[in-house]
Amino acid sequence: MMHPSEIEFMAENEIIQIVPTFNHAGHVHLICGSYGPFRAGLPLNVPIWVALNLRQKKTCRILAPDWMAVDKLQERLEEEKASKFFTQLPSNFYLEITQMLLTVASEDIPQGNDIKTAVKDLWDLRIAKLRSSVDLFIKEGRVQASLNHLTPMEINSVRPVFPDTLDALMTLHEHINSSDDREDSSQSSIATPSSASFSPSL
Amino acid sequence: MDIDIRDLIDEEDEDNQEEMTAQKVLQNVERAWLNEKFSPEILPHQTDYVECLLEQIKSMEGNLAKLTKTDPKVDLHKLELERIKFVITSYLRTRLKKIESFCVSVLEEEATRSEEDAYLSPAELKFAKEFALNADNHFDTILRHMPHLYNNLDRNKKIIEPNLNSFVFLKCNKHIDSVIIKNTLEGQEEEIVLEDGSQHLMPYSSVAEFVKRGIVQLI
Repeated sequence: MMHPSEIEFMAENEIIQIVPTFNHAGHVHLICGSYGPFRAGLPLNVPIWVALNLRQKKTCRILAPDWMAVDKLQERLEEEKASKFFTQLPSNFYLEITQMLLTVASEDIPQGNDIKTAVKDLWDLRIAKLRSSVDLFIKEGRVQASLNHLTPMEINSVRPVFPDTLDALMTLHEHINSSDDREDSSQSSIATPSSASFSPSL
Repeated sequence: MDIDIRDLIDEEDEDNQEEMTAQKVLQNVERAWLNEKFSPEILPHQTDYVECLLEQIKSMEGNLAKLTKTDPKVDLHKLELERIKFVITSYLRTRLKKIESFCVSVLEEEATRSEEDAYLSPAELKFAKEFALNADNHFDTILRHMPHLYNNLDRNKKIIEPNLNSFVFLKCNKHIDSVIIKNTLEGQEEEIVLEDGSQHLMPYSSVAEFVKRGIVQLI
């Protein structure tokens, strides 16, 4: 089980561009890579968590990623509407990145509110698509599905309900199939870590 | 001469293995963290990588102590260390939770493995054994007061096994020619090809081997 904040944590490792307002000649040698040099007015690439930290100290300006523009997002939305499948998005963490950047650096991003609406529309559309495919999947009784281009946050939105439902369905079917050896009373219990409980059936 | 060259090559190979950057180690631990979070069973331990990172953190903390507080990079380094510590603790905690839940079955499986391909690290193994012992002691104390018939718990009554057929989301890092999926609904087997970079939903048991070899990433 993944908490949405943990997905946001992963999204913070994505790279974006910032324009620092200070000078720091050397590279900063982080464990996740070296970034720099920081020169006032010159854009450079850093992980989002670095960008947010510097922005909160007001020592940089964040440049919105290319895709984070109203017209680009509208194009994506049209594409998503036209396609039967999930389309590939420019970022695997579009929702989280938009949310984070607009919270911390709303002044740096033009048309912030419109972007927010467009991203929300895209999300709603994709989630609706996802829900209907989940429904179809269960009704058809399949055991494998391709989920290309779904982002971690979207996948997480159907977890744990969807996989757990399937698990329960499979367990029921297994019991029907093996009804012959139902006599076997000493069957060991099966559980997932989250629902496991130690219950000796006395 | 021949031998010399071979020695050189060997040495180079060793160097290559050791040349793994801190960045790679961090990525490995992050991947292990996600896999561990989503897999129903406990996976082979990655203690080498974790220890390596912990050492990095230690030396970094030593270096930071020497820097002046006004240096702009101090904050960034500190923040990064906190982020890495979060991943490591979350990873280890997830494993402990699984050990606690599936204590008996984890220990039984571990007993069949040799030291090289053990799934638990030595510290985790010690914890698991103590946990099992304490649980046993606890039940013994309670059951002593029960009617004679119920004085003992047999293995089947106290074992909890992970459901290896539970469904997982995964991303494939390499082309895999054939994955067999058992369809319990129709009582037959399906075979599919996993393309490089594709994402799927299927029972964990079908891809367990690939997850352990790092070819498949759980998401």
